[in-house]
Amino acid sequence: MSKKIAVVPELCSGCRICELTCAIHHFKVNNPKKSAIRVIITYPHPVVRMPIVCSQCKIPACAEACPVDALKKADSVVELDKEVCISCMKCVEACPFGAMYAHSDVDHPIKCDMCGGNPRCVEKCPKGAIYLIPEQALGESKRINNILSYAHMKEIEFMEKGEKRSIRYAEIGKEEL
Amino acid sequence: MSIKSGYFRKNLVADLSSGACTFEELSEEFVHQYIGGRGFGAGLVWENLNKHDFNIDPFGPENLIAIAPGPLTGTYLPSSGKCSFVTISPATGGYGDSSSGGSFGIELRQSGIDVLSIIGRAQELSILFLDDGEASIIPMPELKGKSCLETEGIIKGRLKTHEIIIAAIGVGGENLVKFACVNNDWSRNAGRTGIGAVMGSKNLKAVVVRGSKDLPVYDIEGLMQEAEKAYGYMKTHKYFEMWQREGLMNVMEYANSVGILPTYNFKDANFAKISQINGDTMVGKYKIGDSACFGCSMCCGNVCLVKQGKYIGTVTEGPEYESCAMLGSNLGVDNFEAILAANNACDEYGIDTISTGNLIGAVIEGYEKGIISLEDLEGEPITWGNEEAVLSMIRKIARREGIGDILADGSLKVIETWPEMDKLVLHVKGLEQSAYDSRAGVSMALAYATSDIGAHHTRAWTIAKEIEQGKDWSDEEKVDLVIYHQTLRPLFDMLGVCRLPWIELGLNEKHYENFYYYVTGDKADLKELLERSNKVYDITRLINTRLGMSRKDDTIPYKVKACPIQTGATAGKVVDEEDFTRLLDLYYQKRGWDSNGIPAGYEGSSNR
Repeated sequence: MSKKIAVVPELCSGCRICELTCAIHHFKVNNPKKSAIRVIITYPHPVVRMPIVCSQCKIPACAEACPVDALKKADSVVELDKEVCISCMKCVEACPFGAMYAHSDVDHPIKCDMCGGNPRCVEKCPKGAIYLIPEQALGESKRINNILSYAHMKEIEFMEKGEKRSIRYAEIGKEEL
Repeated sequence: MSIKSGYFRKNLVADLSSGACTFEELSEEFVHQYIGGRGFGAGLVWENLNKHDFNIDPFGPENLIAIAPGPLTGTYLPSSGKCSFVTISPATGGYGDSSSGGSFGIELRQSGIDVLSIIGRAQELSILFLDDGEASIIPMPELKGKSCLETEGIIKGRLKTHEIIIAAIGVGGENLVKFACVNNDWSRNAGRTGIGAVMGSKNLKAVVVRGSKDLPVYDIEGLMQEAEKAYGYMKTHKYFEMWQREGLMNVMEYANSVGILPTYNFKDANFAKISQINGDTMVGKYKIGDSACFGCSMCCGNVCLVKQGKYIGTVTEGPEYESCAMLGSNLGVDNFEAILAANNACDEYGIDTISTGNLIGAVIEGYEKGIISLEDLEGEPITWGNEEAVLSMIRKIARREGIGDILADGSLKVIETWPEMDKLVLHVKGLEQSAYDSRAGVSMALAYATSDIGAHHTRAWTIAKEIEQGKDWSDEEKVDLVIYHQTLRPLFDMLGVCRLPWIELGLNEKHYENFYYYVTGDKADLKELLERSNKVYDITRLINTRLGMSRKDDTIPYKVKACPIQTGATAGKVVDEEDFTRLLDLYYQKRGWDSNGIPAGYEGSSNR
């Protein structure tokens, strides 16, 4: 089963533990700048804390930009062949999400390899803002949120066993759509 | 000695007068003795004082600001995002430090230095840019009058990058408000003792850092294993999720229920409208996100937004407990939206919420009692809960307009202007008291009195323990607890980590000797680290001594000894001056200081 790393920026606190754990796992150094995931933070307008990590695209722009075919889609991961890579970093600039990284100490672009199926960032995130999900489930939280905020719903409030409750419903055929 | 790793051993000295930026080697002895953070700062400030024969004007070019993360800052362990700012404080005239969270400290370390020392004065408003080890001083007069956030935006535009970390001062710092902050990561502040004003006096609007270097760690596998234990412990703690949800705002209800919440300028210690300004209200109506300092799983920061009404569009990181108490209950403000607006204003102007709330509270009471006249207030009355007057006062302080010009010089100036205000302003050594009423426990009064920076809880926070367990404590137990706190808590500031995992979630302090070992390779146990911390306490005491302070400055504010708390769980409580004096004697004795509070073995001490 093909799995993807999904992020929920609304949950991210910006602590950057994901960056630290990624760099330590891959490079054995304490250096968040050697991570394949970065939390980009903006404030106050808008307030966003967004972990940026490779989406393992099916048609990877990084691979298309690579002049020596060092990047290849294998199973569900876009893999970097470090032997072939010439470190031109065209891929870093080509990625539409900026999800590949470069560092002056490192001879190749830094790219998420999904830690062989068990991403450390997912494991260590204290907020559950990064998680692993089957590909077909991608977007499910957006779908359910969309339904919960569906604009044409009406709401009634009532008391049940002394507690205030509410039900939302759609008056089919009676609303002007 | 045995320091094998953990440091770059570099002190960058930026002389703003000459424009010279030089890297000085830190000796193994220095690193070993002072550890980092506040320790480095105290050591460097002490050296600088000696160099200038103890003749230093806090606002003079000779004053040194040390910005020092610790050896653990930014390493893989819980809540490692702390950085100390140390200088001679314009508020007290003595030793001053303040520690800030955020990610400034780690970025500073990643640029390849352990400490940044700033001296001199730039000719025009400038920034100091430290780009992966290359330092430059860039004049940017266009930043004059800009808020902390505007400053960030302009600098990012000028340097054409988003990925830099900026510690900036606002208008308050430029105007030398004696409790001006240094702000980074939106609203993480080195808030106390007026570090921002010292930066302002140097014409230094911001320090900008970008770094990419590996942080030196002696045994990364060992560090990871130890850190996993600590993170794992915290994650399963029964209050962990509550901390993520409410952060320090949960203290509002606690402080109210046990009777230590500053209310109406410390007249009361509980607030009738607490439910309007507590953690539940914040989470239910205003919170739109979490925010954490670097490496912290507790994420005590809250991002709040006002979605309707007069303050619509106010978005701020915070408030945390101190800000909410000092700008809320202490001023009788029961509208959480107004507290958010006030917190936001303080952040934007770059002034400390604690001192600001404390002084405005004193002014309201002073006006109520007729000490401060309507004329003093330029015809704008200020009364309890008058949120618009409070916001206006914040602006006046930061801009030094009208009465704000007096408040901006802190409690000592207020008392000088209106001597009767001595009975209403709660301060020690000129630093305004923070938001824990010490009348509820004499150990807290001792903690404020003997804190090296003035009436702040950073050095010792014994109040909760005394309330919960201290009914039958002997004098000795109280003094021992204060000294233990004053030794352990500054150790966190020396290591460059946050103390909340320990004080709030009970993370065993023994972890930190292991963290320290895995990072530095120095096999010092906790006892030895505490001894080093204790020596730094002696040094900060000596700094104060040499700058003219002694027992006469280890005081309790008038209200604490003379005005019993009016309502709540601690109603009637007051600190008996004789009790306090007895504790202070015992405290000096236990510290090995003489009866005038001077550390043994030094000039002027009767304990040789």
